[in-house]
Amino acid sequence: MNCLSKYWAIAVTSAKSNLAYAGEIGSRLCFLGIILFIFMQLWKAIFANANVAQFQGYTLEEIIWYLAITECIMLSSPRVTPLIDEDVRTGAITVQLVRPMSYPLYRLASNLGEQAVRFAVTVASAGSIALLLVGPPSNFGLGLACVLLALPLALVLDFLGYLLVGLFAFWCEDTSGLALIYSRLTMVAGGMLMPLDLFPEAFQSLLKGLPFGYIVSGPARQFVHPDPTGLGALLGFQILWIVVLALVVAFVYSKALKRIALNGG
Amino acid sequence: MWNKFTNYLELAASYFRFNTKAQLEYRTAFISQALAMFVNDCLWLAYFVMLFERFPVVKGWEAVDVATLWAVTAAGFGIAHCLFGNALALPRIIARGELDAWLLYPRALLPHIVLGRMNASAFGDCLFGFVIYVVMVHPDWQHLLLFTLLTLSVALLFLGFSVLSGSLSFYLGNADTLCENWRHGLIAFSTYPIELFDGKCKWLLYTVLPAAYISGFPIDALRKLSLIDALYSFLGALSVVSLAIVVFNHGLKRYESGNMVGMRG
Repeated sequence: MNCLSKYWAIAVTSAKSNLAYAGEIGSRLCFLGIILFIFMQLWKAIFANANVAQFQGYTLEEIIWYLAITECIMLSSPRVTPLIDEDVRTGAITVQLVRPMSYPLYRLASNLGEQAVRFAVTVASAGSIALLLVGPPSNFGLGLACVLLALPLALVLDFLGYLLVGLFAFWCEDTSGLALIYSRLTMVAGGMLMPLDLFPEAFQSLLKGLPFGYIVSGPARQFVHPDPTGLGALLGFQILWIVVLALVVAFVYSKALKRIALNGG
Repeated sequence: MWNKFTNYLELAASYFRFNTKAQLEYRTAFISQALAMFVNDCLWLAYFVMLFERFPVVKGWEAVDVATLWAVTAAGFGIAHCLFGNALALPRIIARGELDAWLLYPRALLPHIVLGRMNASAFGDCLFGFVIYVVMVHPDWQHLLLFTLLTLSVALLFLGFSVLSGSLSFYLGNADTLCENWRHGLIAFSTYPIELFDGKCKWLLYTVLPAAYISGFPIDALRKLSLIDALYSFLGALSVVSLAIVVFNHGLKRYESGNMVGMRG
């Protein structure tokens, strides 16, 4: 209990310090509004040109709400890799290591605290914009309950991906390139711009075998098409990928620690 | 007049050589950032080609047109910020009072500042634009020549836009986040066909977010091999650059030294 409470305190502190920058987060919402407007125009044109009411069960309204949720997940994702880069480059990681806590868990707690604030601000705005563009979503209550259940594991999974990329700072000069590719893979292969069900079938099976869809598309899909059976499967796959990535992170982290050289001081 | 122009071209060439050497001091970081941006652009393009082939987004638009749109935008952005990388950092430089060192140079201030740094990832954008245009569009020499000229026009527009938005720091204090969002908004609109947006929104794309001179006229010029559309692109870009110079010079009169002590090699 004592062990968990210190990580809880880190998460709360991180959330509080991010609340101080609510204005900055708010200014990002202009961009969110632009993106949702563009998506709205894009999908309106697609529906009008195809002359259909829905694609694979998705109406225009559902697609806009789906995109609002995926954008919230992606825009609220804090970038943990520059922090690890800096810790490694400046040697600050040695200070972190002598503290009575695990460095990855410290970063996880700090990350979740920050992300909670960012997500809350972003979802309030994205919800308002989507409401303005297409009206309220169907199944709002059940959808919200499902997304709230799936979201924490999605955020932990996303964090583990970034942490793994960040740990390569022990071997590379700079991990910003790797972080960029990881971020784009999460966006494109995770279904940020379009539900995975709308991808060509050959791609769908490939993408469902990767973790990205369980970070982005899975929770957003539950919001527009809530389904308890599907939610159970989503949570199961999220836990599976968290275990896999946690093991990989633990292995890479143990190798990385052996590369630290201290010279007094 | 001509002598002055060639003089500035020589200055740009010298800065380019110097910046390239500086980047190559950290060769691995430079290559990884450029390569990551190239892969990032490829992922976006793959997604958009898939979207346009799967759904009837805009009548008459095929994969080749999407590739042209992405090639022009990426190459233009890449050239602009590969040569004039400091344009992206302008709001921060102004807000932190770092113009002092630049004010000592014996030429016009603006060219020195914007030429002062190369953006490594922009090199990847530039490479992507030309490679994709040649590989996916298979242009004849007239199209390739026009494409090259249009990338210069788009580069000019991006440069002007970065200077214009960055100059807001003279008036608003730190306008870094605002600039970033404004720039992302322009890029977002520039990567979709302008035909998606109707009359009410279109005027925005000719003024506040001048994406019409990136995804509108240049694409029409290349599709129809139309010199008049190419001319409109250049006129749009020149207007944005002229406005940027006026706003920068006006804002400069409001600049207050930060009394920061620094050295430039």
